[in-house]
Amino acid sequence: MKSKRFELLDAVITAFLVIFALSIILPFWNVVVISFATQKEYMLRPLMMFPKTPSLESYRYLFRDGRILTGFGTTLKILVLGVPVNLFLTTSMAYGLSRTAFPFKKLLLGAVLLTMLFNGGIIPLYLVVKELGLTNSLWSVVLATGVNTFYLILMRSYFLSLPESLMESARLDGAGEWNILLRIVLPLSMPIMATITLFYAVDRWNEWYNGMIFLRKASLKPLQLVLREIILEAQTLAQAETSGASVEDPLFSNGMKMSAVVVTIVPVMCIFPVLQKHFVKGVMVGAIKS
Amino acid sequence: MNRVKSGAGSGGKTLGSRLSLLKTAVWKNRMVYTLILPGLLWYIVFTYLPMGGLSLAFKTYKANLGIWASPWVGLENFRFVFRDPAFMDSVWRTLFINIGRMVFEFPFPVLLAVMINEVRLGRSKKILQSVFTFPHFLSWIVLSGVLTNVLAHDGLVNNLMAVFGMEKFSFLGSELFFQPLLYITASWKGAGWNAIIYMAAITGIDLEQYEAAEIDGASRLRKIFYITLPNIAPTIVVMFILASGRLMTQGFDQVFNLSNPAVQSVAETLDMYIYRITFQSAPDFGFSMAVSLFRSIINMILLIMADRGAKMMGGDGLFA
Repeated sequence: MKSKRFELLDAVITAFLVIFALSIILPFWNVVVISFATQKEYMLRPLMMFPKTPSLESYRYLFRDGRILTGFGTTLKILVLGVPVNLFLTTSMAYGLSRTAFPFKKLLLGAVLLTMLFNGGIIPLYLVVKELGLTNSLWSVVLATGVNTFYLILMRSYFLSLPESLMESARLDGAGEWNILLRIVLPLSMPIMATITLFYAVDRWNEWYNGMIFLRKASLKPLQLVLREIILEAQTLAQAETSGASVEDPLFSNGMKMSAVVVTIVPVMCIFPVLQKHFVKGVMVGAIKS
Repeated sequence: MNRVKSGAGSGGKTLGSRLSLLKTAVWKNRMVYTLILPGLLWYIVFTYLPMGGLSLAFKTYKANLGIWASPWVGLENFRFVFRDPAFMDSVWRTLFINIGRMVFEFPFPVLLAVMINEVRLGRSKKILQSVFTFPHFLSWIVLSGVLTNVLAHDGLVNNLMAVFGMEKFSFLGSELFFQPLLYITASWKGAGWNAIIYMAAITGIDLEQYEAAEIDGASRLRKIFYITLPNIAPTIVVMFILASGRLMTQGFDQVFNLSNPAVQSVAETLDMYIYRITFQSAPDFGFSMAVSLFRSIINMILLIMADRGAKMMGGDGLFA
């Protein structure tokens, strides 16, 4: 790294990276701009970078429409119920499977790993959920993704890296395994716990497929599916317009669509800095293994 | 390290004493089993029961009898499945699209990692990296909203093209452009994230190699081609093999959310097919299960091959 001269190579690479970054930033910026624009300005200035007359009209429509609020409610419920379930199942099992030799350990580990290799897909899961009587109940979505095997393995290998002597001395003091997990292992495992919690939370926030299949009531639609509905409505209208039909669009459906996108992205953006601090660590743990 | 078969080596012991040894060992570890139990129950109900449910592939589903009591019909469902031309079409289409991913999508994160490593931007490098990884954390539903807005007939891209005198193009409605659209948007979403693993590999390269090359007067391009890339080659190979294990399953979320009626005929991958026959018409669960079982088996074969391949190349494989 001696040559501090700015070479042609630097110019090419910098240009490329900046263009790639712009290709990501501009679409999102465009979404934000349209969500704050009026329909009139949207029509007249196709290339606007700032709305001249910013308006909250689209957001007003969005919240008056109300579906997005229902979606927020459902997704929050799924998060609040789901992430603790995820963490409880994953942590206890990962710690259990990280214990030294006990009968059937290999069999249990194998059974867990087999699910990465072979799974039935959504249809048999749907039938089981149906036979359990869970369809149209949030528990279907909460329980269907109880343990992510990959996260389980990440957590287990972290637990395996902790010095066994700590747990052994606690055991000599008469502490049970659950106590050891809670009092000794978890406090030492905050980095991996934070990583896995964030991963689960983002997965829950973004989850939609199970919800689409298991929850058929409009009142139970998670946020992502409400968003999908709004996007499809706007698209149908747009298609009708380009095909020449004179369609009334009194709601400025594209504005509403963009405001719905913004509302769904903002929470992810808020935790993104924290997320970023942790996910690299998470990936590294995985990378060191391979 | 998991020598659990108590007394397995001592052949002289009777079955009875072995059982009692096992019993003692199990009793001694009873707390460990209580730790595992909740997770295990979850695995049984939500992964192993559905696997058993695949037996419906050989049955005809009667709602009143449920999965387990419905009558067996042998291979009849499969006969119908293979008679549906749309089924095999969807299988080949899935393979075709995902092999395309390995050609067009796969190299980009490597390139990106090398470039991020080379660029001399100091602190702004971190900002760039944050931008690149951001879309990874959003769902394809959100991104379909973002992308359909920009790529629409009167969207930003077409309006920009119009400024340069180009004709408007229907990015979302063109059958020909659908596959490139998948590759471009998937790279756009995931390249920054996928580059992280290569950047980790680059960080692990011994700096002495670069210093030695510098003394020899090697140019930066040379250093990239003769030091950086060869050093991360094992990671690249392992990632490539792992990607080949996903040939049957990758990309459903993306295809589902970016396709529309105009591109229906080129967008029906196997997972889309399964969705259509099960949830968009009167479902015949025996038929759907036969397709699902076929998919699971092909997928398992691909994964095992990928795992073997990764191990052969010196990696840890999928299930280390």
